[in-house]
Amino acid sequence: MALKQISSNKCFGGLQKVFEHDSVELNCKMKFAIYLPPKAETEKCPALYWLSGLTCTEQNFISKSGFHQAASEHGLVVIAPDTSPRGCNIKGEDDSWDFGTGAGFYVDATEDPWKTNYRMYSYVTEELPQLVNANFPVDPQRMSIFGHSMGGHGALICALKNPGKYKSVSAFAPICNPVLCAWGKKAFGGYLGTDQSKWKAYDATHLVKSYPGSQLDILIDQGKDDQFLSDGQLLPDNFIAACTEKKVPVVFRLQEGYDHSYYFIATFITDHIRHHAKYLNA
Amino acid sequence: MDREAAGAPELRPARAPQDFHFYPMDLYDPEDRLHLFPEEHLQTGREVQAEMTGEPKGAAPRDLEEDVEELVHLYALGDGSEWDAELVDGSSPHLEVWEQRPRMAGAHRDWSLGAEAEAGDRGCAGWGAPAPSRDLREAYRYSHGRASEEYECYVIPEEEDEDEAALVFCVTCKAPVRALEVSDEHREHEVTPLSKALESAKDEIHKNMFKLEKQIIEMENFANHLEEVFITVEENFGRQEQNFESHYNEILETLSQKYEEKIQALGEKKKAKLETLYGQLVSCGENLDTCKELMENIEEMCHEEKVDFIKDAVAMADRLGKFLNTETDVEISAQPDFEDQTLDFSDVEQLMGSINTIPAPSAPVINPQTPNSATGSSVRVCWSLYSDDTVESYQLSYRPMQDSLPGKDPEEFTMTVKETYCSVTNLMPNTQYEFWVTAQNRTGPSPASECVVYMTAPSPPIIKSKEIQSCEEAALICWESGNLNPVDSYTVELTQAETPEPSGVTESVVGIPTCESLVQLHPRQSYTVYVRALNMGGPSARSDPVTIYTTGSCFHLNEHTCHPWLTISEDGLTVVRSERKTLAKEPLPSNTRFTRCVAVMGNLIPIRGRHYWEVEVDERVDYTVGVAFEDVPKQDDLGANCLSWCMRHRFASSRHKYEFLHNKMTPDIRITVSPRKIGILLDYENSKLSFFNADISQHLYTFSCQFYCFVHPCFSLEKPGCLKIHNGIAMPKHVAFY
Repeated sequence: MALKQISSNKCFGGLQKVFEHDSVELNCKMKFAIYLPPKAETEKCPALYWLSGLTCTEQNFISKSGFHQAASEHGLVVIAPDTSPRGCNIKGEDDSWDFGTGAGFYVDATEDPWKTNYRMYSYVTEELPQLVNANFPVDPQRMSIFGHSMGGHGALICALKNPGKYKSVSAFAPICNPVLCAWGKKAFGGYLGTDQSKWKAYDATHLVKSYPGSQLDILIDQGKDDQFLSDGQLLPDNFIAACTEKKVPVVFRLQEGYDHSYYFIATFITDHIRHHAKYLNA
Repeated sequence: MDREAAGAPELRPARAPQDFHFYPMDLYDPEDRLHLFPEEHLQTGREVQAEMTGEPKGAAPRDLEEDVEELVHLYALGDGSEWDAELVDGSSPHLEVWEQRPRMAGAHRDWSLGAEAEAGDRGCAGWGAPAPSRDLREAYRYSHGRASEEYECYVIPEEEDEDEAALVFCVTCKAPVRALEVSDEHREHEVTPLSKALESAKDEIHKNMFKLEKQIIEMENFANHLEEVFITVEENFGRQEQNFESHYNEILETLSQKYEEKIQALGEKKKAKLETLYGQLVSCGENLDTCKELMENIEEMCHEEKVDFIKDAVAMADRLGKFLNTETDVEISAQPDFEDQTLDFSDVEQLMGSINTIPAPSAPVINPQTPNSATGSSVRVCWSLYSDDTVESYQLSYRPMQDSLPGKDPEEFTMTVKETYCSVTNLMPNTQYEFWVTAQNRTGPSPASECVVYMTAPSPPIIKSKEIQSCEEAALICWESGNLNPVDSYTVELTQAETPEPSGVTESVVGIPTCESLVQLHPRQSYTVYVRALNMGGPSARSDPVTIYTTGSCFHLNEHTCHPWLTISEDGLTVVRSERKTLAKEPLPSNTRFTRCVAVMGNLIPIRGRHYWEVEVDERVDYTVGVAFEDVPKQDDLGANCLSWCMRHRFASSRHKYEFLHNKMTPDIRITVSPRKIGILLDYENSKLSFFNADISQHLYTFSCQFYCFVHPCFSLEKPGCLKIHNGIAMPKHVAFY
């Protein structure tokens, strides 16, 4: 698994780098961004994985969210993978912005023609952590995950499907109940087939109901003026209700006036980094 | 010593100990040795040594032995001329030593002279004392001066020895040995490098020097003391002599006066008596003459003619009859024997007696109160007498000064004491007493001294343990004075309870004018705190102690702010709103007490640091917890104004609603797990107030606030229930991220 450095820029004392590698899970060349804080020069640091939303690449987060200062201060290595396989030449993968390229939905596809490449769940939970642990000064015992929108959904399911694997999880405007929203139905139908019972294995609200109760502190920020919220794509209330019932600790903050953009993310990114640092640096 | 090295190298092992001990010899037999060796005056040497054993320096006996040994060795060599030569071109260190000798010897002599002079003078019962005491001082100065010279001498031989690096030191023989010679007789012996032996010898020497130095200082102190005693005794005797002399002269004068008077009286009496007797004798003679004349006339008449005879006889008979009629006094008019001449010596006797009596003393001078000499129930009163006075006892009187009762004179107390001080006990604390003293002896009492006011120390204050506020860096301690009258100031004493030494270092904060003090402390320690009250008389006893733990912040609920429907527990940390109380009438508006909002405020220490406390809540109870300025409107709900920041919980139709209220505004936040214990972090440094679910370390919300002055924790219960405050707990690690 040779890593090819695409770029490296000094940022808040650390380095923001982008690498390219040949992914086994995805059968294609994949890029990921990794921020190495100054502390990583001398010791192993915790790893925090960021999963981006629909249409994004590894670039959106590193150029727009402004996470670097907080990550530098707390000494966190932040890894931001791409959102789907690229250049697999699957028919229809570029037809829409909410399916195929840029819309991997962090599931392992079981349906043709997607199932050979679209294995983003295994990629972000297995292959990428192994690659990072092997090549960068990170502590494999300390990792957390967070994301935005589709990436928020990805972060939640990664944490809920792997109790204890992630120290903490947080999300910006996550797709909380994809089984019940248009985006989810389209993606899960495409990647997982028509059997809706298989969808539930990638649905945060459903996963919470069977979550075994290992300590997990979930922070969710949601813009109140988010058009996808009012469109019923995100459905946080369902997730909160499930968490309340199962006594899974969530702090859900409905932020007055904010939308779905990276401006919203940039506003609260520091809170989220701190949330993770609290558990990663405990 | 280089002398031996030149003369007899084979003798070195035997002579060697001298290298380490020779300097006292240089000290004690200075010039004698110079003469001694060439002139073979062994006996003189011994005498000198013997003399020196009597010295107070103490090191001499050892030297005597060594010196004799040395002499034996020297004379075994038996060649005086060698030594003469040696002395002429002696090595420079030696010359240095020699140079000092005359001085030291001089000092020595002066010292003994001084001692002798002193001894002699003592025999003279202290007449002309200034001279011996001066000698005494000089003697000590010399001895001290000499001591410092000794130290110079110590240094020199050590340098000499450095040349002999090839040597080792045999511990068993106490002698340096050539490294090559170790094989022979020292094979079995313990051998150390010479430098080491030198070190230990030096150490030994320095120890001894130190001891000597100490002894010198002690002796000097003792001498000073003796000197003082000497002067005092001298003065006392001088005074007594003067006294005696004046009395003696007085008596002599009186006696001589009496003599004069008596002599004069006797003379006068004698003259009078003699005159009387003489007069009698004269008149007696005259009578006799008259009788004789009469006889002659009668005889003549008898030889006359009858006519003439008769004629004359009639005249004669007349004359005779006349004469015989005049009585002849034959009684001795003056008593010839002495009258009883008893001399009256009573006044002389009185004078004689008064040689031993003394005049009545003059009024003593009573001292003002020494600061810090009083306790709560006693004062130590001191006074002084005039040095000429002889006093047998003093009468110390006192009475309390009570300005409140002008009509009634306070009771007076008097006590008799022998000393010029008295500890008067059983007094009232923090009270002024007027003291005066009279001295008295056989002859009579002195006038009373001036009156001086003494004051007893105050009673110990009482710490209000329930009102103590603390945090990791400080504590606010409040107390009651414990005294009716005001005191000057208070002192807070702190002992760190868990210091390794049981005594513990006591830190004091002094000069506190009011009944509270904010003291700086170290985090996560336990302190025992005492308070004392002070006035001019001194400090009171310690108050009862309280223990303060500087772990987390500690506060108590302030009953003055408590809404009437709420009840605060005994420990001041639980607030209860019971069902039935809600029916009571709403109280009148107030500035300190919550009247509409059923709330209570805690007293948090005014320290701008970080404070953390927790509140145990019932999930089904409606409550509000947070902070507010002291002057928050007491009619408002908490969070309904810009002077309070609160987390409010509402429980309705099995749903929990959480609001984070400030100025009636709240963010829209949903919390899936209802906290049972809310952690509250008040951070003045970062102007933040954060709320946590303490049980699961979950961060709930953080206010950014401008705390322009200190805030206090506040709690309200909108429905019956209870809130339990936990404080004095260490700040959990996770809150450090907010």
